[in-house]
Amino acid sequence: MSEFWSVCLNRFEQELPAQQFNTWIKGLRLEDSEDGGFRLIAPNRFVMQWVRERYLSQIETLGREFFSRPVSISLGVSGNNAELPPPAATTTADELSANSAEPVAAVVAQVRSGDPAYEKTRLNAEFTFDTLVTGRANDLARAAAQQVAMNPGVSYNPLFVYGGVGLGKTHLIHAIGNAIYAANPAMEVRYVHAEDYFSDVVRAFQQNSRDAFKRYYRSLDLLLIDDIQFFNRKDRTQEEFFYAFNALIEAKKQIIITSDTYPKDIQGLEDRLVSRFDCGLTVAIEPPELEMRIAILKKKAEAERIDISDEVAFLIAKNLRSNVRELEGALNRVVAYARFHGRDINLDVAREALRDIIGATNRQISLELVQKTVSDFYKIKVTDMYSQKRTRAIARPRQVAMWLSRELTSHSLPEIGEAFGGRDHTTVMHACRTVGDLRSKDSRLNNDLHVLVQTIKG
Amino acid sequence: MIPRQQLLLDLKPEQPPTLDNFVAGSNAELVARLRNLTGPASFEAITLWGAQGCGKSHLLAAVAAAADSRRPVLFLRGEEVVDLTPPTSCLLIIDDVEGLAPEAQIALFRCFNAARFLGLAMLIASSAPPLRLDLREDLRTRIGQTLIYEVQALTDEEKGAALQRHAIARGMLMDAGVVQYLLRHGRRDLPSLMAMLDGLDRVSLEQKRSPTLPLLKELMQTNLDLDPL
Repeated sequence: MSEFWSVCLNRFEQELPAQQFNTWIKGLRLEDSEDGGFRLIAPNRFVMQWVRERYLSQIETLGREFFSRPVSISLGVSGNNAELPPPAATTTADELSANSAEPVAAVVAQVRSGDPAYEKTRLNAEFTFDTLVTGRANDLARAAAQQVAMNPGVSYNPLFVYGGVGLGKTHLIHAIGNAIYAANPAMEVRYVHAEDYFSDVVRAFQQNSRDAFKRYYRSLDLLLIDDIQFFNRKDRTQEEFFYAFNALIEAKKQIIITSDTYPKDIQGLEDRLVSRFDCGLTVAIEPPELEMRIAILKKKAEAERIDISDEVAFLIAKNLRSNVRELEGALNRVVAYARFHGRDINLDVAREALRDIIGATNRQISLELVQKTVSDFYKIKVTDMYSQKRTRAIARPRQVAMWLSRELTSHSLPEIGEAFGGRDHTTVMHACRTVGDLRSKDSRLNNDLHVLVQTIKG
Repeated sequence: MIPRQQLLLDLKPEQPPTLDNFVAGSNAELVARLRNLTGPASFEAITLWGAQGCGKSHLLAAVAAAADSRRPVLFLRGEEVVDLTPPTSCLLIIDDVEGLAPEAQIALFRCFNAARFLGLAMLIASSAPPLRLDLREDLRTRIGQTLIYEVQALTDEEKGAALQRHAIARGMLMDAGVVQYLLRHGRRDLPSLMAMLDGLDRVSLEQKRSPTLPLLKELMQTNLDLDPL
């Protein structure tokens, strides 16, 4: 078996460019499988999928030739990612001393962090692969990112990560940056938001410091540029970036780009940039499904040494669906609420705190809405709300509606009375007192009121 | 109309909004958190929202004033924002964030991204919760990541207490029935109630009459004629 695998390795090494061979083939392991065939073990799902799509049929052909019979080859992922080879360190002494020209923007702002690594790289140290929760929505992107982190400049260049707002693109690319910087702090790593890059360009032109600007960006070993869609119609910025991009790629320096959409769809971007972005690897991040949102909350809580139950995580995850950012904001809010009130984080606390975020009470409530909802609820006509009829079946719902109007709107009592068929404000007061008294004795009425309040607030 | 009207020297006591004279009601947690925001070592971001008249403006002005001597403060209404370049460790306060023009939205978005680097604290106010704000999604979700508080309107009892305090601060010797009457007959949001009280004080001084219930009724009748609220 090992003989067969060395034949395969030899063949691929001859046929594939070294970069591709190192990235895809070299890390694979061949094992016997239970069904008498073979099992190819890839370091992660991403490599596995890539191999399946591009190389598996060729490996099967080689197997048929080698054993003179068809062999079955299945694919799997190694259980322990820690066995992966350590990241390649590529920086030389020359590169170290190459340049220290800071981008113009960095000189302007004073810094409070006192963290030299942060000041140099602008990477958020909390955004690592360890703190990134993986699920169906982002596992391909994560695997690609890990490949890049292990072999910066050689596996995929550029790596282009796209996805909707607040799904963790920035976290992912910071994780790459942090991994590369941790493996080799001598690397010139720099994270920049596209808007800040644009400001740097503008300032370089204004201050006649284009040379320093160019020197700085071309001296980097790793450039992470976030939200490239902000280059929309900024021609000069695109031109500067085009040259910086070419220089870095040519020098085998890694570039990582994020955007809210895939390259061809970015508005107002020059074709030559689009085609260059396309020549590396493009991976998407999808919105996280419920299970993943729960996992994200649990992980974040764990990182902050907070205990949250599955029910609480479920409640938060169910209410904030579209992005990770607001999910985390909601968790922070729940924790803040519990701390302030000196309570444990339980379902009641979470519900209470989430009310501020979801805003159930925000609908502009009108007297008409109250009247309509109450009439529907008690199956009477809306006109009965302002009719002169005084039968119990109509008078009680009318009183309930008056009580709700007082509770849920800022209208004055005379205004409320007016809306209910020109009644006096004392009638409204009487209704409110009656309903207020009754609800403490009549649990059914109390329940009706509860349902009505919920319905009206939406 | 009253023939001889006392002309007033407008010397009513200044009552700048502070966190102390805000009637907190069920907003105690929010007020405590805002107090913390005024210090130079706080880098929190807080969003508060609520219907008109719930006290947002009071809170923002109070925080701005309290922070003023302790850290740089930039306090703007959304519609005023053109560009934003907050200095280091600034407290950035944006009222009516939904009023931001498209370019201004990008400016605020950049502030969020630079917040850590510059050591910013942020306080944002809107009429709706961030989930329902009509802003660029990248900005909206950043606002959604802050600590979000709905400013809870006061109950009628709390409004009554607030009116009493306001009257005492103005030196008004008021009939007990006035507050009750206002709560029953006037619009019951706090700014409207306060405005009625101020109006009563003014008329009472102009006409040299005590701020009694009959005077209030007269005033509300005239107001009704002038301004159908």
